Amino acid sequence: MIVSKLALPRRTFLRGVGATLALPLLDAMVPAFGGLSAATQPVRRLGVVYIPMGSNITEWMPKQVGQLTELSPSLGALTPFLKQINVLSNLELKNAYSSGNHATANCTFLSGVKAKMTEGSDYEMGITIDQIAAQQLGKDTALPSLELATDFNYVVGNCDNGFSCVYMNTLAWTGKTTPLPTEANPRVVFERLFGDGGSAADRKAELKKNGSILDWVTQDMARLGRRLGPSDRTRVEEYLDTLREVERRIQKAEQLDGAALPDVLTRPVGVPADWEEHAKLMFDLQVLALQADITRVITFQLAREVSTRTYPEIGVTDPHHAVSHHQNSPEKLAKLAKINAYHVSLFAYLLEKLRATKDGDGTLLDHSLYLMGSGLGNPDVHDHTNLPIVVAGGGASTKGGRHIKYTNPVPLTNLHTTLLDKVGIPVERFADSTGKIDELLEPLTL
Amino acid sequence: MSRRWWAGAIGLPAFLLAAVVFLQAQPQQSSALASSAAESSERPLLSQYCAGCHNERSKLGGFVLSTLDIENVAPHAERWEMVVRKLRARAMPPAGRPRPSEAQYERLIARLEASLDRAAEANPDPGRTDTFRRLNRTEYQNAIRDLLDLQVDVSTLLPSDDSSHGFDNISVGGLSPTLLERYLSAAQKISRLAVGTPPRSAGSETIVLPVDLTQDDHFDGQPLGTRAGTRVAHTFPADGEYQIVLRLTRDRDELIEGLNEPHQMEVSVDGVRQQMFTLMPRPRSSPVDLVEPKYSPDQASDSHLNFRTKITGGPHVVQVAFIKRPSALVETERQPYLAAYSSDRTPRTQPALYSVTIAGPFNPTGIGDTPSRARIFSCRPARASQEASCARAILASMARRAYRRPATGEDVETLQSFYRQGRAEGSFEHGIEMALRAMLTSPAFLFRIERTPMPADGRSPAADQKWPIYRISDLELASRLSFFLWSSIPDDALLDTAVKGRLADHGELEKHVLRMLADPRADALVNNFAAQWLYLRNLDSVKPDTRLFPDFDDNLRQAYRRETEMLFESVMKENRSILDLLRADYTFVNERLAKHYGIPNIYGSHFRKVELGNDHVRGGLLGQGSILTVTSYPNRTSPVLRGKWILENLLGTPVPPPPQNVPPLPENRPGDKVLTVRERMVQHRANPACASCHQLMDPVGLATEHFDAIGRYRTQSETGTPVDASGGLPDGSTFEGALGLRKAVLNRQDLFVTTLTVKLMTYALGRGLEYYDTPAVRRVTRTAKADDYRFSSVILGIVDSLPFRMRRS
Repeated sequence: MIVSKLALPRRTFLRGVGATLALPLLDAMVPAFGGLSAATQPVRRLGVVYIPMGSNITEWMPKQVGQLTELSPSLGALTPFLKQINVLSNLELKNAYSSGNHATANCTFLSGVKAKMTEGSDYEMGITIDQIAAQQLGKDTALPSLELATDFNYVVGNCDNGFSCVYMNTLAWTGKTTPLPTEANPRVVFERLFGDGGSAADRKAELKKNGSILDWVTQDMARLGRRLGPSDRTRVEEYLDTLREVERRIQKAEQLDGAALPDVLTRPVGVPADWEEHAKLMFDLQVLALQADITRVITFQLAREVSTRTYPEIGVTDPHHAVSHHQNSPEKLAKLAKINAYHVSLFAYLLEKLRATKDGDGTLLDHSLYLMGSGLGNPDVHDHTNLPIVVAGGGASTKGGRHIKYTNPVPLTNLHTTLLDKVGIPVERFADSTGKIDELLEPLTL
Repeated sequence: MSRRWWAGAIGLPAFLLAAVVFLQAQPQQSSALASSAAESSERPLLSQYCAGCHNERSKLGGFVLSTLDIENVAPHAERWEMVVRKLRARAMPPAGRPRPSEAQYERLIARLEASLDRAAEANPDPGRTDTFRRLNRTEYQNAIRDLLDLQVDVSTLLPSDDSSHGFDNISVGGLSPTLLERYLSAAQKISRLAVGTPPRSAGSETIVLPVDLTQDDHFDGQPLGTRAGTRVAHTFPADGEYQIVLRLTRDRDELIEGLNEPHQMEVSVDGVRQQMFTLMPRPRSSPVDLVEPKYSPDQASDSHLNFRTKITGGPHVVQVAFIKRPSALVETERQPYLAAYSSDRTPRTQPALYSVTIAGPFNPTGIGDTPSRARIFSCRPARASQEASCARAILASMARRAYRRPATGEDVETLQSFYRQGRAEGSFEHGIEMALRAMLTSPAFLFRIERTPMPADGRSPAADQKWPIYRISDLELASRLSFFLWSSIPDDALLDTAVKGRLADHGELEKHVLRMLADPRADALVNNFAAQWLYLRNLDSVKPDTRLFPDFDDNLRQAYRRETEMLFESVMKENRSILDLLRADYTFVNERLAKHYGIPNIYGSHFRKVELGNDHVRGGLLGQGSILTVTSYPNRTSPVLRGKWILENLLGTPVPPPPQNVPPLPENRPGDKVLTVRERMVQHRANPACASCHQLMDPVGLATEHFDAIGRYRTQSETGTPVDASGGLPDGSTFEGALGLRKAVLNRQDLFVTTLTVKLMTYALGRGLEYYDTPAVRRVTRTAKADDYRFSSVILGIVDSLPFRMRRS
């Protein structure tokens, strides 16, 4: 980034890549990536936005069931996208019940399985749906998936009663023992997507060097593995898998570099002091990554479980976690609904961007599915039923504008299998799923 | 065992219940055998005080004692260790039930511990640290500092580490593709910066100051006669021009805050003033000014606050500050406690710095000498023919330090091939940079690997059970030592001793430990160990409600952190008793903190030691604002959080996690009678499901009620009634206020000493402690006791302990 060229006032600049970088640049980039995204077959993409600590469900859930013409107070910001969203109620996460309900609400959200109770390094979860999707959708992209957050995990001490912090720090696990770290610094995310400067040839040369270093590290690691006992060899196998995956990414990135990136890409300076600006910047980066087809799978913790963030900008000066234990106090419930509505409005910001971005024969929103919701239902009692869940996007392939409400609780994983289906990965069962959300699927045309 | 044993709980986890049933079947014969042996045993005591609840029928707490044999503790060492912990904390029998006399307690504990220690000695188990442990963020940053003499900000290079057992060096076995990518790109950036290759294009670094920082006074370390600003230690990548850009804080209308009269700012590099700026207030009104402006419109904004200057490559300190105005005396007339940063409530009365950006280099002209280059280029080839041998010498010596062992021929050969690859594309230095980049990505650098020694004939160790436990090698010991005390790689002196195979000699080891504790690198024990143990790291995320606490700002937050760090540091550096952490009759303050604490006659921004005298509420950890604040909610105190924190981190007697679906404490509701926190706690304990644990936690926390949610001393509670700070410990003692609590905790000093030892050992070993580590912990505290628990005696004890020196294969 060259500051001398920066004639913009600070505020505008920070506000973002939202205002100053994304829009003009996105336009500038369309020709560059046209070759990738203008294909007749829409690229399938899956995104997840996690909001912590459930909802005030009475303000969240639309009164209408089935066809929706009007949204609830908490979801009001989604009204412009009514046709492209589905609200689901009475979904549950049975396997999230534990003594560390916040940790497990987060980690079970996309895995559907029980977390092993441990504070040590012997943590165990299951593969998450975004990673199942990434195995397929990510085969052809430089990054199989992107894991984002707005919180930096520097908090120490107990994360949640007997559960390692790792369960709360990320939504994405590629396997039982391999969580993927999240990144909250917009600048770092930007550098992962677009490198840190120099010409296309320079970037290519750097990739080549990394490739040759990795070759050697792989050999070295394999040699090391042969000198270890059987239990340690499993670890080495994991490392080797990681090494091979990064080698693959480098190859993909080398191919991507052919479509030259515009030189004007401006790196964000760092983390905006204002949380809303920060969140929006993270959404901007998601849109950039999807549009440039650097990745097709994204998970984003809009905020983390047990977040004590206060939201004075919307008049909530109590910490979110304390508010979530509302004890049915009308005052606290109102505050919780305010926070919910605020988070939803930021999700609406993303949808707006996705819809405004052309992608092939439609928009990015048409060619993406985004799941937004929480792994806690009523946060006051830490339950995991009647979760607040919204599915957005999907264009013509998804019938939108509906509130799908179940009389008896249905596993959230039913939705997961359906989402995987929708992005082109047929899965019969996933974790504790018992079927699919048939209503989300198009009517069968035989 | 996955569950934390030490941080584990007073109740037993469910899966142990199953184990109890399973174990009951076995010990019958052994107890029959042993029963004839000693009738002088403590059996009657156990049956009198314990068996009433912990028998096979009642199984209270899921714990059965009646089937265990006190004459033969080895088969159930884990459960007997639990008994010892309960007895030591005087948590059992519970307060209020008939309890043994103090003498009986002590005798029983001594006897049990002696048997457990004997059993452990007969069958030692050092536990097993993971074979692969990745350097975490802090360790990586320190390793780069010590290897390359280079300061890097690791937070922009690597993702943060997950914390387990209270520390972020435990869960460090995994390596995700994302992480590996980050290590690759970190290696690229660092090798380039260290060698001094100018970047391909100018880059920039922006430092944003905390939004809630009050900028009315002089900041410690800033030039005299200045106010506020910041000090940035920055490594400049090359000789060349750099642009320095300042931004000031603005209000909602995009107007610069507090710019009501002219101000001046200065920017200096390494203490030499480079540039002065004048800021002019926007004129009050009038078209006249527009016709003939008395000010340049530029000066009313911050758009002119930038300049280019030539700076040489390497580390320099950039300082930005406002010139202190005489009229700034107004500041002192204001409420002394009021923080000034919030534009709607307490607006800034003077302009404040928002950010500093350093961009460059423009027109780089190469690089001269930097500390990193001096460290790397131990030789410089004069002719092309000398290059290969010089590269070899450089890489061999770097590899030794980076890999924490003598470099093998193969190590050097590999690095040389990378050198040749880089040399082919560019200069000699370019070749070294490439080799360095490979070195920093090598498993031998990124991982601490502790390998079970292989038998000479090459058979797999699993096939040969000759080494159930073994002594770790001297080189492994050197790394354990340096990562424990410095969170970094060993230095040459330590490696030399290890290579000679003499590190395990007691005298040598002690010499090195004392030398290392005196080294500035031992600050890692303060800002890495203590900052995690005492939750200082959480201070940054503490955001007290500004309406209720208008005097909280970042200045106070940083002062709190510094005070606690300095207390720990003083115990470490002056080799004081670790009990001084609780009972210190001194503390460290600057003017800001002294005002907050009500300590008179302290002026200026620098920290200094102040004597408090005996029995001062601010003496020791229990009176420190940092801890009192991180254990509060943004809007009120929490006796539960404070009680829990003290039980867990000072006394080592945590309570079990709450059962599921417990109704939370009712909050004050509008219209209801306003209750004090204490009154609401009473409501809480009325529920039996809550009472069993809250009666342990709450009284501990309630004793600190004289401190509000940001650690201010108060005599009135939120309802206007006098604070009632009566409290109690799980051992049944009762007392008044923080001083009473401190006495009661000191009365159980063995618990505190044990807890700190356990925390240090967890951190040193990089794993949670298990029951079989307990005899080693006892040994450390017992030896340290003879030396009044001096800091070094605890550290030496840990370094000398079985789990630190040995490993299960």
